[in-house]
Amino acid sequence: MKKLFIIATVALFAACQTQKDQTEMQAVENPFYVEWDTPFGAPPFSQIKDEHYKPAFEKGMKDNLAEIDAIVNNPEAPTFENTLEELERVGKLLTKVQRVFYNLTGSNTNPKMQELERELSPLISAHYDKITLNAGLFKRIEAIWQSRESLGLNKEQLKLLKDTRKQFVRSGALLNEEEKAQITKINTEISELTTAFGQNLLAETNGFELVLDSTDLDGLSESIIAAAAESATQKMEKAETEEEKAKYKDKYVFTPHRSSMYPFLTESNRRDLREQLYKAYVQRGDNDNATDNKEITAKIAKLRAERAKLMGYETHAHFVLEERMLKTPEEVYDLLMQLWKPALERAKVEVADMQAVVDAEGKDFEIAGWDWWQYSEKVRKAKYDLDEAAIQPYLSLDNVLNGVFATTNKLWGLTYTEIFDVEVYHPDARVWEVKDKDGSHLGIFIGDYFTRSNKRGGAWMSSFKGQSNLDGRKRPIVVNVCNFPAPIGDAPSLLTFEHVTTLFHEFGHAMHGIMTDVTYGSMSGTSGPRDFTEFPAQLLEHWASEPEILKTFATHYETGEVIPDELIAKLLKASKFNQGFANTEYLAASLLDMDWHTIKADEELKDADAFEKASLDKIGLIDEIAPRYRSTYFAHIFSGGYAAGYYGYVHSAVLDSDAFEAFKETGDVFNPELAAKLRKYVYEKGSTEEAKDLYVQFRGREPEIDALLKVRGLDGSME
Amino acid sequence: MIMRFLFPFIFLSILCLSFRAQSHPEDELIIREIEEGQLEVQDQQVSAEYAAALKRQRIRKLSAMPWYEKFFVFVKAGIEHIIPKGLDHILFVLGLFFSSLILGSLLWQVSAFTLAHTITLAVAALGIVQAPAGIVEPLIALSIVWVAAENCIFKEASKWRPFVVFSFGLLHGLGFASVLSEYGLPQGNLVPSLLAFNIGVEVGQLIVLVVAALLVWFIRDKSWYRKRVQIPASIMIALVGLFWFVERVFL
Repeated sequence: MKKLFIIATVALFAACQTQKDQTEMQAVENPFYVEWDTPFGAPPFSQIKDEHYKPAFEKGMKDNLAEIDAIVNNPEAPTFENTLEELERVGKLLTKVQRVFYNLTGSNTNPKMQELERELSPLISAHYDKITLNAGLFKRIEAIWQSRESLGLNKEQLKLLKDTRKQFVRSGALLNEEEKAQITKINTEISELTTAFGQNLLAETNGFELVLDSTDLDGLSESIIAAAAESATQKMEKAETEEEKAKYKDKYVFTPHRSSMYPFLTESNRRDLREQLYKAYVQRGDNDNATDNKEITAKIAKLRAERAKLMGYETHAHFVLEERMLKTPEEVYDLLMQLWKPALERAKVEVADMQAVVDAEGKDFEIAGWDWWQYSEKVRKAKYDLDEAAIQPYLSLDNVLNGVFATTNKLWGLTYTEIFDVEVYHPDARVWEVKDKDGSHLGIFIGDYFTRSNKRGGAWMSSFKGQSNLDGRKRPIVVNVCNFPAPIGDAPSLLTFEHVTTLFHEFGHAMHGIMTDVTYGSMSGTSGPRDFTEFPAQLLEHWASEPEILKTFATHYETGEVIPDELIAKLLKASKFNQGFANTEYLAASLLDMDWHTIKADEELKDADAFEKASLDKIGLIDEIAPRYRSTYFAHIFSGGYAAGYYGYVHSAVLDSDAFEAFKETGDVFNPELAAKLRKYVYEKGSTEEAKDLYVQFRGREPEIDALLKVRGLDGSME
Repeated sequence: MIMRFLFPFIFLSILCLSFRAQSHPEDELIIREIEEGQLEVQDQQVSAEYAAALKRQRIRKLSAMPWYEKFFVFVKAGIEHIIPKGLDHILFVLGLFFSSLILGSLLWQVSAFTLAHTITLAVAALGIVQAPAGIVEPLIALSIVWVAAENCIFKEASKWRPFVVFSFGLLHGLGFASVLSEYGLPQGNLVPSLLAFNIGVEVGQLIVLVVAALLVWFIRDKSWYRKRVQIPASIMIALVGLFWFVERVFL
């Protein structure tokens, strides 16, 4: 009996124990709801499950709105502290889940997350709109703005106040009720049109396919054929009817997606098929069918012009550029046209070079758009012969990483230690602690370099934790994601020189995110205007192609031999290859973007084709080159947020070439004085000052274009 | 406003033209899908990539460790590859154990086994020899059957038994090598890590022998020991070995 009693007690105790565990588990069930007590406050990835995101997003948005209400309903008079600083503090849960979720949907996704991504995006847009349109919140901000002179705010605080207020004003906060209603109507219309634009374009891109027989593959390499066969197999698996399945049986499929089209245009010897695919690509959205984008394009441009007028701006470009480093359309046109002439001239030379190859082959045709990839490759082989395979052994990932670490060490004294106690979302993500010159902790750098099937293409920088000094010193966790080939077996990962440039580029963004040192998180790191933020990234690329620096890290992974001078020379020459084409297609698209967004509200708009033709004729674009995006598939400007902003890339390029020139002028690419200025005025400052002021403080004058022309081989030196 | 509340994402296209997206996330989605097509995730490929990455991560961790930690890690790995992961090696060692209660004979056998698998583990790990698991693994199973069957037939281990055991040891070494290569050896300290792993394997083996010896300590001199313990145990071992052989070849 006694024994039984003991057993019962033990059992009961055990039961209580499990009950207690369960309640505890429920409380910490969602890791987003608790403070992360991890090294450097990194996300506890192993605890985060797919099902945690959605409730965390929902709670995050709900909490965020409640917090905003609390600020608005604060009975105390509005002050900088109880309004703007509080705005910095709110939305912590939402930010936390957003950072993890959007990083992972890019770098380590799965079907569940992809579905959630689609489901969430309109909800998140609507959420932020609710904040921007909160009249009570604007009232408080405006009151502070009106009394700004007497508040004793410092420079950074003033900039925060100014930027925040401006964002409300730009959403229409200062308009009267009638105007506000008009703006809302226009916004709704634009939003419907941009959605339709994107959907049409998606349908048009997915709608065309080149289905080939095994006899149509002349010139294609094995891996390209295999990929095309794979995509036919996939289409067959997805096909619903037997008839449709038969269509893809033993066939090869190419599509107008760039990853499928470019290899085909480069390798296929079938000129007729190249023409078909190329034309399908450039005609997207311009086929006079149900998914035609011509009318939509014109309507969007027109509505944007009307909205700008209502807001008191001359054109939409004026409205957009107010927030940029280049402030007016005139400045943008001026920059683009300065580059246009040399780029076009260079492109014409490239056409002639290719025509010479055609003629030498004894063929009888004139180079057209669909020939460019194939014949430029032939010219490249002949003129710039660069054997990638000969260079790669010098460029193992570890060597290149050491190179970028050494570069930033010489510039700013930063040191890197690989650490293993920070959790990562995938075992290929590596973690380094970045320390400052004096040994103090500066930030965490995560490098996720290898390509994998659940990672987006391309390369990018992002962060898991931001920097701020508002409530104590918070240092950032920054990530670089790339798509370099994973090593096979025990050999190291060997990069191409293009990969090296990409690595340095993204590392430049990472430096911008890691060295940043501002009080208010929303102004930290890469938060500046779009025509400026590429500058710190592109700048770092210059060090990668400096022969002296290249020689310090490019050593053969087996023999340890330093990269020979002649290889470096070839490498640098090849970087100027096809620049006429690349610049011309890009500049044509940028100018087209500007033309669309400098129309006036009352201007009569013909259809998009006529508008585009007039725009391109005006600058004299040659038939062999299409703009990088034609209007009907220019998703960046008609579906994304790049309207009157596509020029930004080249503007950043002007800055980085001009900035690196400053180092070269001193005769020391690590000039300590300049490096210190660069850090102080560019990499540390975030958006706490006007971008142009920052640049001028670093450079001592405004940016000039000459250095860029030289870098791109557009200064006439290539003839 | 969005700019202030949505943290920036920076993407870079293949041409090193990167752009920041401060727009609505749905715009981003559309542009990405148009540019790249939808990302099709295939589970099998994802897990294969994950396994390869895991191995790379382990090697990175190892190479960052001081030598004594690394040594310890490999000793531990060696032990783990006997207990609990190396059930077939445990059975083989037990097969040897049940062959003889004379310490000298047992010592000879175990030494021959150890010497042999050390040799093949080393040559295979250094990449000098490569043996396909499809052949090695069934043979290992057969070697277990062999020693156990012999225990039932002969009362005392034959004189040439150490040579048989030696050749079986060569096989088992190849088996260790394949698990070790899955585990990942640091390029820099190949030989010391190999040595440490081997030490671990020996320790594991010794533990098995000592436990077995303790269990039969008081009954080893009984007249019924051979009939009731040695032979039934060996038959069990042989049967399990046989089952593994069938499983590894036909299933």
